[in-house]
Amino acid sequence: MTLEKIKKIIVDENSPLFDTTGMFYKEFPSDFRQIRYFTLLIVQKAPPEIKEINLLEQQISEVIKNAVKHGNKSNPDKKIKIWYSFSDEHAHIIVQDEGEGFKELEEWNDFNEKRQKCFLEQNFEELGKYVAFMTDHSDEYDGGNALFAAVEYWDEGVVYNKKKNGVAVKKYFPKRRIGYYYDEA
Amino acid sequence: MELKIRKHEETYIIDVNGEMDLYNSYKLKELVMKMLEKKIMRFIINLEKVEYIDSSGIGALIYVSSTLKKMNIKFMIANIHGSVKKVIELTKLIGYFPIANSLEDAIKAVEA
Repeated sequence: MTLEKIKKIIVDENSPLFDTTGMFYKEFPSDFRQIRYFTLLIVQKAPPEIKEINLLEQQISEVIKNAVKHGNKSNPDKKIKIWYSFSDEHAHIIVQDEGEGFKELEEWNDFNEKRQKCFLEQNFEELGKYVAFMTDHSDEYDGGNALFAAVEYWDEGVVYNKKKNGVAVKKYFPKRRIGYYYDEA
Repeated sequence: MELKIRKHEETYIIDVNGEMDLYNSYKLKELVMKMLEKKIMRFIINLEKVEYIDSSGIGALIYVSSTLKKMNIKFMIANIHGSVKKVIELTKLIGYFPIANSLEDAIKAVEA
């Protein structure tokens, strides 16, 4: 991996990842206690081949948690809207909240870049400074690391809308060719 | 999530059983902080029976790991596997955490 390949969160309201055509839709109240339950209601539509035991569930739950907790401040009067579609080759989720938006997005990208550089240099002593991204709103229950994994997992992108209160994520799952071997030589 | 403590000579092993998620991961931090009052110098967290971890669980491991490091306490995390390993890899923390493949290796490392 080179520095050019460092993954970033981008802001692009016109990204094709925000196209909701053909996607399922659900909305939920911002009830912190029910985040994992809401996640299960979404992920049950996914075919088992892409669930990777519970990795897909875990990654979706982080996106929902960010909207409920950091976006809507766990105010049950505020809704989160979720669009989702799955196949054996993709997972695509859009989550929108009613909050003020992820204001620290650029700060997060800078932080993640420094972190990735430490990792590339295998400088784990320095990496210790960049293990958790915390803001004034973070509390002791926040891991501060969910988006680090998200930009790696969602390989088609982690894209925010202009207001930064909506995020679209997508992952491509290449089909495995079982019982087929092609030797170029 | 269930936390059980057992002792191997001077090493304290915390067996974590269940899911380390946003609702319960703080319990691991609390337990370790409580144990530190007893001047324990060797710790192992055994994740053999953990099949699910989220960013709060990873956060708890980071907190424990950095706290024990600052205090020069010997510490290992044992038996990460499946999606737990995958999440740690995605977060690029494999080299940051002191990880042992088995409990035996972890015991050897902290008692060395």
